[in-house]
Amino acid sequence: MSGRILVVDDEIEIRRALKTGLTGHDFDVEAVATGEEALASASSWRPDLVLLDLGLPGIDGFETLNRLRQASRAAVIVLSVMADERDKVRALDLGADDYLVKPFGLDELLARIRAVMRRQADVAAGAATVKVGDLEIDLGNRLVTVAGREVHLTPTEYELLRYLAVHAGKLVTHTILLREVWGAYAVGEPQNTRYVVAQIRRKLGDDPAQPKYIATEPGVGYRLRV
Amino acid sequence: MNRAGQRFGVARIVPYLYAIAGVVLITAGIGLVETRFEVPNLSMVYLLLVLWLGARHGSLPAAVAGVGAFVAYDFFFVPPVGSLLVSGPREFLGLILLLAAALVSGQLASSLRQASAVSSASAAESKALYELATTALRLPEVGSALDLLCQRALELPAVHALTMVAIENGEPLVVGGDKLDPSTLRRAAWSFESGTSVGTGLGPDGLRFVRTRGGARDPALLPLSGGVAVLSVDETLVDTSQRRLLAALISLGSLLLDRRATGVQAQRVSTLEASDKLKAAVLSSLSHELKSPLAALRAGLTSLLGPAVSLDREHREMVAGLDRETARLDRLVGELLTMSRLEAGQAPEVEPRSFPELCGAVLERLGSPLADRRVVLQLAADLPPVLMDELQVDRVVTNLLENAIEFTSRGARIEIGARTEGDHLLAWVENEGPMIPAADLGSIFDKFWTGRTSGTGLGLAICKRIVESHGGRIEVRNRRAGPRFQFTLPLAPVPASP
Repeated sequence: MSGRILVVDDEIEIRRALKTGLTGHDFDVEAVATGEEALASASSWRPDLVLLDLGLPGIDGFETLNRLRQASRAAVIVLSVMADERDKVRALDLGADDYLVKPFGLDELLARIRAVMRRQADVAAGAATVKVGDLEIDLGNRLVTVAGREVHLTPTEYELLRYLAVHAGKLVTHTILLREVWGAYAVGEPQNTRYVVAQIRRKLGDDPAQPKYIATEPGVGYRLRV
Repeated sequence: MNRAGQRFGVARIVPYLYAIAGVVLITAGIGLVETRFEVPNLSMVYLLLVLWLGARHGSLPAAVAGVGAFVAYDFFFVPPVGSLLVSGPREFLGLILLLAAALVSGQLASSLRQASAVSSASAAESKALYELATTALRLPEVGSALDLLCQRALELPAVHALTMVAIENGEPLVVGGDKLDPSTLRRAAWSFESGTSVGTGLGPDGLRFVRTRGGARDPALLPLSGGVAVLSVDETLVDTSQRRLLAALISLGSLLLDRRATGVQAQRVSTLEASDKLKAAVLSSLSHELKSPLAALRAGLTSLLGPAVSLDREHREMVAGLDRETARLDRLVGELLTMSRLEAGQAPEVEPRSFPELCGAVLERLGSPLADRRVVLQLAADLPPVLMDELQVDRVVTNLLENAIEFTSRGARIEIGARTEGDHLLAWVENEGPMIPAADLGSIFDKFWTGRTSGTGLGLAICKRIVESHGGRIEVRNRRAGPRFQFTLPLAPVPASP
């Protein structure tokens, strides 16, 4: 796998290390230190993926992320020294594809980069059916089967599962699920998403303590396993 | 004294003189009119006099005028004229009616006068209180409002001194009125603590005073909800309206003392909050400062292991070792920061959450280190939701599992279980590792206790702190297979069905 990666971090040692490490794995890497430079580079150099540190001088990481999302189709992985789930949720709500807490090893970062890029390719290809083990979600026919047996879901349950399936592998926050499944006017109650996910799991025969299909990220949201 | 008494007597006679003079004048007037015109019921003119006397000077002068009118009218105008005899029943009835009307109207007028006097006095009282209350409550400083109130009380003739004492942290503090000597302050504090009033009390019609023995002039003490009112009053001069006004003033003072206490409390809370915020900000900045160099180290070291850098085997192992040490340092720093955050008072944000779902998330995250252990789940079916901060309890389950991994070898059994027990959930992590010496069972959750040569000894202390802040308890027992760490968490209340 190859591609263009833009590293945005104000620490020179991180920029240098990631440039060396990622170049060694056949990526084309450019590294900048500020949000302004990142936005300029995103429009001129057109990276496939941006590694964005949240603690930037000048316009901060969240604002940079917000503007990047409006100006570029590049995937974004947020890197932060803050392990606070609220920062994670905020970054994901703003459209980050993933969130990695510093410090991390290069292998961990590479795994995340590859997963995000694969997902981008899948979404671009627009697969008609998403398969996770025995589970098959036929998006064209709105048909859900487990080991060939059809599972009857309510419209809300199906919409939620469909959204997770279209973004298979990506961590989706409660806020995004509420917005995408219940509509723009849904506000506040993540208890709804928890309840609906519990129903879907029950119908799919998915044990929440050993989930085969839908994984939970406490305090953040859900992810369809791939 | 004598002169005052005489003046007092003369003043009291004046209305009766008015009554007699009035009757004489009206009788003369009626005599003049009656000789020229035939006017019926001229006797009614006397009633005007009676009404005026009743309204102006009370019922007794009015009654005197009434009786005088009765006698004069009978003598001069009722036949036979010039005698008190009455010639017929018609005249007799007329006279009796005159007397009755005079007495009743005098009485009525006099009671109206009294009522209006009382109401204008109480209106003045209300107005004074109203002005004081609005001014006092508008003043930003409760202290100056209390001072104003004490000054107003001193305007009452019977009051020599009024001081409002607040009790702050058990210490008496003068917050309004005159200063007090230390012994009076001590008595005030005692009065507040014991709830005993001395020499005074609040009754149904205002403040009542109990005459203290002999000439002792110790001030009276009245304990209030937020302090004590200390009063010096001349009991002989206190009348009902002063009693009421004093009671109202002291009640207002009590409200002001409460307001002051609330203000002091709010200030203390906001100081505490500011200090918590400061602690959180310091920890957040500290976390950033400690983690950033570690992040650069790990990113750099692991990049050196990549294909772009051609290191020989020995150097690669060295770099890999350095990265492992850096990762360990990162874990230790993380534990120290977590403990500091908990000790800085980070309260759990509890909500009803599924415990099995949380276990699933932790097991997935610990995937690779757990892969070569035999993980057995013993979660009871249909466990009800637990009231927990899922991120904090995540930390507990993660720490216990990491602990279990550390003390067991490949292929060992690790059991995670939970069941309900009464109104709480009992959860456990059990492993086939070495037993914990009996002597250590009590201290294993202490900070910096460690059963191994490495590690901060904070992992289990963090677990204990989190579980206890949820209202649960955590303990360790040696079972036949190995040690079992178990903890409790409160179950979420069952929502009432609509």
